[in-house]
Amino acid sequence: MSDPIHPAASILVEPEVDASSTPLQANGNPRPFLELRGISKSFAQGKQQLQVMENISLTVHEGEFVSVIGPSGSGKSTLLQMIGGVMLPDQGDIILQNQRINGLQGKAGYMPQQPALLPWRTIEKNVILARETAGMPRQESLALARNWLDKVGLGGFARAYPRTLSGGMQQRVAFLRALLGPQSLLCLDEPFSALDAFTRSEMQAWLLRIWEENRRSVVFITHHIEEALLLSDTIYVLSSRPAHVIQKVPVPFPRPRREELVDTPEFIALRRQLTEALRAELNG
Amino acid sequence: MSIRAWWKGIWPPFGAVVLLLVLWQLATSLFQIEDWILPSPARIAQEAEKSYTSLLGHTWATLKLTLSGFGIGAATGLIVAGVLHYIPFLRRALYPLLILSQNIPLIALGPLLIIWFGFGLLSKLIVIVLVCFFPITVAALGGLAGTDRVMMNYMQMIGATRGQIFWKLELPYSLPAVFSGLKIAATYSIMGAIIAEWISSSEGLGYYMLLQQSAFRTDRMFVAIMIVIAFSLIMFSLIVLLEKWCIRWQNDSTAHPKGGIDRV
Repeated sequence: MSDPIHPAASILVEPEVDASSTPLQANGNPRPFLELRGISKSFAQGKQQLQVMENISLTVHEGEFVSVIGPSGSGKSTLLQMIGGVMLPDQGDIILQNQRINGLQGKAGYMPQQPALLPWRTIEKNVILARETAGMPRQESLALARNWLDKVGLGGFARAYPRTLSGGMQQRVAFLRALLGPQSLLCLDEPFSALDAFTRSEMQAWLLRIWEENRRSVVFITHHIEEALLLSDTIYVLSSRPAHVIQKVPVPFPRPRREELVDTPEFIALRRQLTEALRAELNG
Repeated sequence: MSIRAWWKGIWPPFGAVVLLLVLWQLATSLFQIEDWILPSPARIAQEAEKSYTSLLGHTWATLKLTLSGFGIGAATGLIVAGVLHYIPFLRRALYPLLILSQNIPLIALGPLLIIWFGFGLLSKLIVIVLVCFFPITVAALGGLAGTDRVMMNYMQMIGATRGQIFWKLELPYSLPAVFSGLKIAATYSIMGAIIAEWISSSEGLGYYMLLQQSAFRTDRMFVAIMIVIAFSLIMFSLIVLLEKWCIRWQNDSTAHPKGGIDRV
């Protein structure tokens, strides 16, 4: 296959960032790519206000993989809905590349818990959906999609309908759809939680490999500690409702990482630490 | 689908129809029922062959009327559904009125339409449009409102505009519902056409039936009824075919991949 795709593909590896909008701070550290500052949110439940989030702050640097873990019901997904602009925080700011994006939709690529592929579109046409809605040229997008589908071993399914794919394969397609979208930030909302244990660990290894080759800024929601440790650079542990950050854990393991990492003593120690933090939160 | 499987599906209703015709034929000769009360199937078939040429013009008139009425009605129904869906306030305001409007008997409306719009084509078209658009509007509104929440949320998260959400998600999602509305409307539209021709016409199957009724030509009325049934079935089947083509992603067995391996 001739290869006219690479110029476009390189955009993915280094998302186009307006250089003027990323000034360096005085100490030389780049400003965070994404910053949540003091996010609070409550929902009306009958006549009562149910406080779900309290003063949550977190940062994602460019090319950083950040996981958010916490007990179910701690509003982790709500956080992504806010970054995606579908929901507004009651208080606080969401800053992406120095721009306040509260309530602005389409600023982040998104991979939901269910694949949410459109059943009437073929796989390749699903992959280009995010590019298409952003008005990017169709032929170029299709070529890029086919190239990527080949790369992840789904080339034979390019013109199949989602119905014919297994759950794990559908999630790969959903990830490609987010990855190939025009947004440089990716929000992944418990993407593997509906998969069986074996497929899940396969998918983790797959995501790890693709991400390490492409290094995008990621916010990854999960309640799976091992998954978070294997994939992330930084983990934020949320409390139960009202959620606030109880720990920010840097994950020290060098990259590229391999699955075997989970059996090392350092990994096990860190896993225990996180498990205990979460357990204390649930019992406390 | 193999011929055998097709036959397996088709023979019970086919057999029932044949049985019914045989019973009918036997009953008319056994009880010596007079032709002007209930003609036998054989007699109806004979009459169909004889009056074939004179019926052609009437059939064509009804066909034209039905198809144009159905076309306008379907388009109106879809547009009304789109507008009501797009403007929720309008939907809340008008939906109950839409339901209410269906309690007006069509027959009662006919004479009124003639006063307003005369004996021409317009009154007849309005009758058909009125019966057609309602099932389509209700079905399409239901389909549009039932859009998958997860897919909707995805589209919003990636910044799709209202229009993009409509064309890329809501409309395709509502297609199965729209088609069930179209199927109902298709049979209604033929009924509407016949009624419209009873009320005001000088051609068409409805007019022909009134004419034959006054001459007690029951056999000819039956011929007309058979044509109406055949016509109705053909229209229904065409819509089913169109539906299969439009929603081919649902049951397509040809898209099975050849080279795909679920590789890690």
